[in-house]
Amino acid sequence: MSAPATDQTAPAILAEVRPAVVPRRVLVEHHRDFHWITEKICGIVEGQTPLWWWYCLGVAAFVASFTVAGLTYLVSTGVGVWGHANPVNWAWDIVNFVFWIGIGHAGTLISAILCLLRQKWRTSINRAAEAMTIFAVVCAAIFPVFHVGRIWFAVLPGYLFPFPNSNGIWQNFRSPLEWDVFAVSTYGTVSVLFWYIGLIPDLGTMRDRFTAAGNVLKARIYGFFAMGWRGSNRAWSNYEMAYLILAGIATPLVLSVHTIVSFDFAVSLIPGWHTTIFPPYFVAGAIFSGFGMVMTLMLPLRAIYQLEDLITQYHIDCMCKITLATGTMVGYAYAMEFFIAWYGANPNEGFAFVNRAFGVYAWAYWIMITCNVVTPQFFWFKSVRENTTLVWVLSIFVNVGMWFERFVIIVTSLARDFLPSSWGYYSPSIVEIFTFFGTFGVFSFLFLLFIRFVPIMPMSEVKAVIPQADPHGADHH
Amino acid sequence: MKRKFDHSAPASSGLTGPKYWRSLDELADTPGFREHLAREFPEGASSMEGVDRRQFLRLMAASFALGGLGLAGCRRPEAHILPYGKSVEYTIPGLPLYFATAMPLRKHALPLLAETHQGRPTKIEGNPSYLPHGGATTLLAQASVLDLYDPERATVHTKGDAALNLGQVNDLLAGINKAHAGNGEGLAFLADESASPTRARLVAKLKQVYPRAIWAEYEPVQDEPPAAAAEASFGRSVKPVYRFAKARRIVSLDADFFHAEAGALYYAREFAKGRRVTKPEDPMNRLYVAESGFSLTGSMADHRLRVASSHILALAAALANKVLATDTYTPLTQGLEVSAQWIEQCAADLLQHAGTSLVLAGAHQPVPVHVLVNAINAKLGNIGSTVDFVAAEAAATSLAALAAAIQAGAVRTLVLVNGNPAYNAPADLDFAARIKSVPEVVRFGYYADETSALAGTHLAATHYLESWGDGRTVDGTIVPVQPMILPLFNGLSEVELLARLAGEPNPDAYAQVNTTFGEHSDGGKKAFEKFLHDGQLEGSAYPVVAVDFDPARSAAVFANNPAAPALSKDNLEVRFTVDHKMDDGRFANNGWLQECPDPMTKISWDNAILVSPRLGKELGIAPAGSLLQVARKEEADFYQGKEMAHVFDVTINGRTVRGPVHIQPGLANYTIVLPLGYGRTAAGHIGTGAGFSAYTVRTGEAPAFATGATLRNTGERMQLANTQEHWSMEGREIVREANYDGKDGYRENPTFANAIGIEAEAPPVYGDLKPEEFDRLPPEQKAKITAFRASTTPRGNSLYETPDLSGPGSKFDGVHQWGMSIDLNTCIGCNACIIACQAENNIPIVGKDQVLRGREMQWIRLDRYYSDGLADPEAFGAEGNKILPEDPQVSMQPMTCQHCELAPCETVCPVNATVHDDEGINVMAYNRCIGTRYCANNCPYKVRRFNFFDFNKRATDALYMGPLGHQSDMPELLKMVRNPDVTVRMRGVMEKCTYCVQRIQQAKIAQKRLAGASGNVEIPDGTIKTACQQVCPVEAIVFGNLRDEQSAVSLAKTQDRTYAVLGYLNIRPRTSYLGKLRNPNPLMPDYSTLPLSRIENKRKSGEKETEAAPAAGGKA
Repeated sequence: MSAPATDQTAPAILAEVRPAVVPRRVLVEHHRDFHWITEKICGIVEGQTPLWWWYCLGVAAFVASFTVAGLTYLVSTGVGVWGHANPVNWAWDIVNFVFWIGIGHAGTLISAILCLLRQKWRTSINRAAEAMTIFAVVCAAIFPVFHVGRIWFAVLPGYLFPFPNSNGIWQNFRSPLEWDVFAVSTYGTVSVLFWYIGLIPDLGTMRDRFTAAGNVLKARIYGFFAMGWRGSNRAWSNYEMAYLILAGIATPLVLSVHTIVSFDFAVSLIPGWHTTIFPPYFVAGAIFSGFGMVMTLMLPLRAIYQLEDLITQYHIDCMCKITLATGTMVGYAYAMEFFIAWYGANPNEGFAFVNRAFGVYAWAYWIMITCNVVTPQFFWFKSVRENTTLVWVLSIFVNVGMWFERFVIIVTSLARDFLPSSWGYYSPSIVEIFTFFGTFGVFSFLFLLFIRFVPIMPMSEVKAVIPQADPHGADHH
Repeated sequence: MKRKFDHSAPASSGLTGPKYWRSLDELADTPGFREHLAREFPEGASSMEGVDRRQFLRLMAASFALGGLGLAGCRRPEAHILPYGKSVEYTIPGLPLYFATAMPLRKHALPLLAETHQGRPTKIEGNPSYLPHGGATTLLAQASVLDLYDPERATVHTKGDAALNLGQVNDLLAGINKAHAGNGEGLAFLADESASPTRARLVAKLKQVYPRAIWAEYEPVQDEPPAAAAEASFGRSVKPVYRFAKARRIVSLDADFFHAEAGALYYAREFAKGRRVTKPEDPMNRLYVAESGFSLTGSMADHRLRVASSHILALAAALANKVLATDTYTPLTQGLEVSAQWIEQCAADLLQHAGTSLVLAGAHQPVPVHVLVNAINAKLGNIGSTVDFVAAEAAATSLAALAAAIQAGAVRTLVLVNGNPAYNAPADLDFAARIKSVPEVVRFGYYADETSALAGTHLAATHYLESWGDGRTVDGTIVPVQPMILPLFNGLSEVELLARLAGEPNPDAYAQVNTTFGEHSDGGKKAFEKFLHDGQLEGSAYPVVAVDFDPARSAAVFANNPAAPALSKDNLEVRFTVDHKMDDGRFANNGWLQECPDPMTKISWDNAILVSPRLGKELGIAPAGSLLQVARKEEADFYQGKEMAHVFDVTINGRTVRGPVHIQPGLANYTIVLPLGYGRTAAGHIGTGAGFSAYTVRTGEAPAFATGATLRNTGERMQLANTQEHWSMEGREIVREANYDGKDGYRENPTFANAIGIEAEAPPVYGDLKPEEFDRLPPEQKAKITAFRASTTPRGNSLYETPDLSGPGSKFDGVHQWGMSIDLNTCIGCNACIIACQAENNIPIVGKDQVLRGREMQWIRLDRYYSDGLADPEAFGAEGNKILPEDPQVSMQPMTCQHCELAPCETVCPVNATVHDDEGINVMAYNRCIGTRYCANNCPYKVRRFNFFDFNKRATDALYMGPLGHQSDMPELLKMVRNPDVTVRMRGVMEKCTYCVQRIQQAKIAQKRLAGASGNVEIPDGTIKTACQQVCPVEAIVFGNLRDEQSAVSLAKTQDRTYAVLGYLNIRPRTSYLGKLRNPNPLMPDYSTLPLSRIENKRKSGEKETEAAPAAGGKA
């Protein structure tokens, strides 16, 4: 959408220095054309359901049933079926919540911030990343809802959700948990809207293709969700504007949601939680983990559906570099926490951090450091970034590391706080291990449905970044 | 009455013509058909589960009536119920009534007030009119009300498998009476000890009726000095009553007078009077303790000597030598390995305080020790001043003599009155077999326990709260035991049992008690009513007997005493101690007590073989210090927060018992402590299987301590439910201590508590001055500020509106502003507050498994810290942090909700379930709580408790059973113990100390009514006592209105020692603490110029070490 360069005369100096022409990396390789893209992406949805998909769906459903069973047991019996106890009253529940909500962040970052920054490489991964966001928020929401003692009240209006009531009791707007309620629900809503708006042109395409193929039922269904999309200039114009506005709304959410989640800890007074570094540190961590998850998901998808032309090495490079950058930021935050604990000269604070690194939970701390600080450093090397298998393995390490980061922050701080008499040790029960494990099934189940029924890439946007979309593109330089 | 209908066929005689029948059944004339005819409705229509329609309606009517009367929590009445035609005297529905009674335990009774709601006792308080106790009670008395409603108590009288009704029981007793009429040949009684004058009278009667019957008494633990000691010392049968308040120097030789001695409650209270310091000019007593175990008394010691119990005699002799300036007792001191300086300086200190000092020895110590103690006290002129002697009753036949009589076949009928000899008799008597060999055994007991299983007949005893009786307190004052409720299960009272056996014409217990009273008083009916009302007979205390110590008379007891044995890993001393909670085992089925952690080890639901750190090292079970030692090494092996104890076999004299080993700092090196009272095999769900029974290795000759034991590792491990995993304060300023005197001591620096470590940066408790600024003020201004400490300037700053003590205008401007002050200097850590709170506030028990997980629900916990002065500032690898203290100082701290004005729990609750009221209380709205548990996380004191399960509706073994484990309700009987003024919390709800808000509200309502038009709704100081305050034997807890400048709590808070735990967080806790003082003797070898916790604090904060060296400690 840049202005045509032909109107301006090139500065004279250019002729003199004759700068080398650095070609932009192509975002779709092998000069694929519009038709190929349409066929490729629609083919995934239109083709016969592959057998592996059924197997995966079955496994995912089975794993997801652990969560369902675990939560049923929890609600019927009591929170005690988890391993929580005084002094560790939050553990895997909130660890998992922060973990999943953090994963979601990459999706929003890719779709909103990169959109505003006109990073065109986002186009081939943003749809899947946004889907990941939504499913991650679903998994994340399970935990804060179910970890409360009386879930039947938690979901009633008037308790967590403001609702005029005869008692005149309102929520405590000073509580970070209340902020969480708004932050996460807003985030979930905006993510769904954003994802859905982006889907509309592609849903229209699907409808038209099913209509042409004579599959009336599917055409009806896709048509319903396409909301009467006709691809007119006016529609495109409105669509572009709506998308841009939502990108604008979603952008601050990328920063705010995890900032507010970090307030759950930063606002408290527990040593190890009570730190001002948390908001930026959490956001960096969230993006870090989110990109880890995007790579974990996209690399197999790319291999299965032969999407190498759409998700190119350049995409992988970009994601690796962001992972490297945010991973290093997180490492810096770890170091800075120690520095401030020492510099602040508060013995309780100092103890909390020394205890983290060398106390009873040192194993968790060093897993975290290894996975989060050491792992991304491999991405400095081009050879590593080009080895997709290695990238995939490292991305899993990032996910593991970020889970442990939350574990370390939450559990080690609570386990040993102010009064040594009430120090304790937390270990999870089998129920919460399986409940967490099951959320991967929930996530996978939803993601499998997504790749089967929704175009996994925004065709229109991908098409817009290939040279054919801009016939004069070559002349820009 | 059911109507009967006659549908039978007409009489055949009246019939003419053919016979018609309605069915083949009629023709056959089956019984079923006849019944069918008789029924008004077809089968099944009129009966529901065995209740027919009429009965159903009748029951419903009764239920509705009861429901309307607010008696829904009551058992279903069976008889004796009449509608209130006229209201019962004093009864106001919803308001409790208090009656005086007493709890008998061995040779003393505790005077009590029982709180009853609609005729059901729910809470025990001390009787405030009995001044020596001043309204305080003990742990055991507090928990005893739960025993009343124990579903597993004996509910029927049985003979073999058949149940007996009361009439049959009376016949049985009359039968015994008749069978042994005449001389009582072949009849024997074995009873527990009792202080009841009525029982004494009935026993005398029994002896008169059956002159040849045996009346034996047995108590597994002894809490009074042996009678022979008094006989040898003074030539008469007397027992001591100590006057601790008058004693400035106290030496305890293995005497745990806060717990194990008769009169412990009185002694603790008196001791605290000599300990309490409100200003630097006040005197403070000094306590020397020499002991083998680690008792609460030892934890309060200013100088504590770890010495084996079998070495106490040598120590007493050495001390006597010094005090009496003689060497008569030198032969007795053989084998003693104690610093001579310790004894010398201790003796010198005693001599300087002749007449105001007190030396006492544990009741379990042998006669020579007591004689030596009497000699020392006589020499120091303490007799008549700090120790009085009163007449003691003659001892009954011993258990051993009874066993011998049984073996000789002289006993045909054995009546066992209370006690539990099958469980707790000395192992060498094999008393269970003796019981079995007696042809007829009648057991009278509260539980169908180990002994009942051996007896042919079991008679269900009544609880003291449902029986008439009487007793004597430790000083001899006669107190009544009044029933609060009719016997729940038609039990028999002890008085009635004995009266029937003695053939009394009117065996009714009330009449018997009345008769006894008549013998001690001449006031008639009015006096008896006053006696019942006051709960004591004034002037009935034992008269003090003048005694004279005669050295010549006592010389004989010192002959043939063996030298103090040389102890080692292969020749260990075993010390049997009476447990803090189970006592001798009789309270084993009490869930509150089982779950209450031991005050020193903090282990609940079990006992353990306690060994010293040195012995632990030699046995190879000292926990391995982590390579990266961040905090002080643990005292025991913890795996994932659970104590994994090594299981050992203790063998002594060929008898072996197996139990878990817990390393206990502060024990004499080669003494192992075996707490008694556990390992019951027939106690009920709660008590059976908890711990191991040390009685199985205990013999009659050595009931309290024995040598020659060995330990063998079985290689097994066992989990112990330890409620406090970490023993060290880590150099933090949690319990703040100073020496009473000396450099940087309290007298030099009274405001020490506010100038330690990071807490020195904390905003002052009241006003806006820091301690050092405050110190610089002229005295009159100081006084003004202290009086007006409720300055308008809140400490620190806050964005939020906070309670303002200065007066109306702020958001929180209630007439009252509640606050609490806890004096750490007098707190002895007895745990009574925990149980009092549990009884008052309907706190459930959770079971061992949940305690292991850290989910105990008690609202108060007693934090117990050890310090040895060796903590190192280095976070890891520091040598000082790897050492387990062998001889630590102990600091106790009751910790409960601090009611912070800027409560961190309140800001984080998303639903406003925990909020401040206008009187400064941090209140919980249970109905509002959804259970996010954020408040518990953000509480720096970790005093909030979460209902992880429906602890009130599920049995402790059904917590994990999902929907299957859900009982629709708690057992009817257990409901009755609940305090109707306090909500019973459901699962998923957070709870915590409320400052007994129900008591506050009740007082406010009462005051409002009193005030009437005058509008003076301010509650006078002292009207409200929180449950923990009321029970506290040492008056360490003070609660009241902070806005009243003259209230006790305000005055306590103006003391210099006042500080807020974690005050630097600026959360402004309403509960403040008074710093702990220690009063060491500078001349003693283990003197330290600073308490060891202060040295740790200095070391941790990197300050240059003072000249104070960590104490070397006494040698054992």
